[in-house]
Amino acid sequence: MANPLRPYLTCIRNTLTAAMCLQNFPCQDVERHNKPEVEFKTNAELLLNPVLICRNEAEKCLIETSINSLRVSIKVKQADDLENILAKKFLRFLSMRAESFQVLRRKPVQGYDISFLITNYHCEEMNKHKLIDFVVQFMEDIDKEISELKLSVNTRGRLVATEFLRQFI
Amino acid sequence: MAAVASHQLAACITCHVWNADLSMVAICPNNNEVHIYKATPARDSVWEKVYTLQQHDQLISGIDWGPISNKIVTASHDRNSYVWTFEGEAWNPTLVILRLNRAAISVKWSPKENKFAVGSGAKVVCICYYETENNWWVSKIIRKKHSSTVTNVSWHPNNVVLATTSTDCKCRVFSVYIKGVDSRGDANTSFGEMKFGEQLFEVCDVFGWTFGVKWSPTGSMLAYVGHNSTICFVRVLGRTATPQVVTLQGLPLRDVLFLSENRLVAGGFDCYPLLFLGDNKGTWKLARCLDEHKQVVRHVKSGSQVCSLTISCSSPYRK
Repeated sequence: MANPLRPYLTCIRNTLTAAMCLQNFPCQDVERHNKPEVEFKTNAELLLNPVLICRNEAEKCLIETSINSLRVSIKVKQADDLENILAKKFLRFLSMRAESFQVLRRKPVQGYDISFLITNYHCEEMNKHKLIDFVVQFMEDIDKEISELKLSVNTRGRLVATEFLRQFI
Repeated sequence: MAAVASHQLAACITCHVWNADLSMVAICPNNNEVHIYKATPARDSVWEKVYTLQQHDQLISGIDWGPISNKIVTASHDRNSYVWTFEGEAWNPTLVILRLNRAAISVKWSPKENKFAVGSGAKVVCICYYETENNWWVSKIIRKKHSSTVTNVSWHPNNVVLATTSTDCKCRVFSVYIKGVDSRGDANTSFGEMKFGEQLFEVCDVFGWTFGVKWSPTGSMLAYVGHNSTICFVRVLGRTATPQVVTLQGLPLRDVLFLSENRLVAGGFDCYPLLFLGDNKGTWKLARCLDEHKQVVRHVKSGSQVCSLTISCSSPYRK
């Protein structure tokens, strides 16, 4: 089955492969510190140009890279109010459990629904291609998950409505 | 050509170095220790850990083993550097007064081993030498020449010229002649009259962070890599430099190693070494990949890059 999402995800995967060339890099500004440069942005020369991949206005992915860290921010498709509230609740649920995902950021970057922060330490501990697989798989699943949630909310709504309206017959 | 043997010594090795006769290898397993293994090239041998050097308190980022003096020098993110001497049964550390206020990134012995250079996150390079009367290693600092972290340093075979790469996308060459440490004869080089800390020339043909600078065995060529997936070969004649940039298709490289005047191996984020050849006219091209890609991916369990290349005294590189 041809997935219409495929070219978008392939593009993200290729960009991530190229962007995930991270290395340990101690802080230039503060003694004995080592922190993700992409979060602090204090040294312009240590940042690369951010890449924005858009499928359409509602669905986009921003990849920001620095010498020792990489930030992937995703805007999930929200066609109507119901999808909007579902996405918001679901991603909030995930963000609150960010530690168990390791690469998940606790707060999304402004304008996006969810963000991942990948540092050189993650690349040292984990397989690079598995990390990329995880992000891409996540994006693939999130749409599916939300449409399933929407479906079940609608089904439940219809059932409740039928039950409720039955008393008037 | 595939790897002769592979040994899983640690999940991640930040830096490594061989000793003079290839019988031992010192590695940093991505922490504040150095492990020294007895190494044999045999295919199914087991490498035995013989020494552990513990003195630093942050990640060790650079290590070098002098083939003549048999001294190890380490540099670490804790801003310190130690020179380790083998006495009797154990390796004894001597603290080096680097006078750095940021992390030390890389370290290299000079060819005569009377000095070593430390590149650092303080945007400076330290040239350290031994002061016999005070019985310690002191450093002279090249300041205000780099505008970002110095990622790597490399000594010209004449012992008084140093090349550096930095995250400000440039490769610079300095005079590091120190009066009283280097003999008067050493001052007489093809670069002409020069004093300590003087910048001889800089190359800015690569538009990315630069890493892994190396001089060729005779010192007539210089090679370094850029994070925009390029490798730059610089022909050096006196103070004039003629660069040639080769653009690659894969991911960026991290380090290079001259095998001879016209052969060079480079490794990087693609996890396999590449061989470059230079022809009679001095033009360099990518010859081939020295490992099968699939095999590497299977072998590299968690790694994401080849972070350094070293070779022992058996090659012309160290002679």
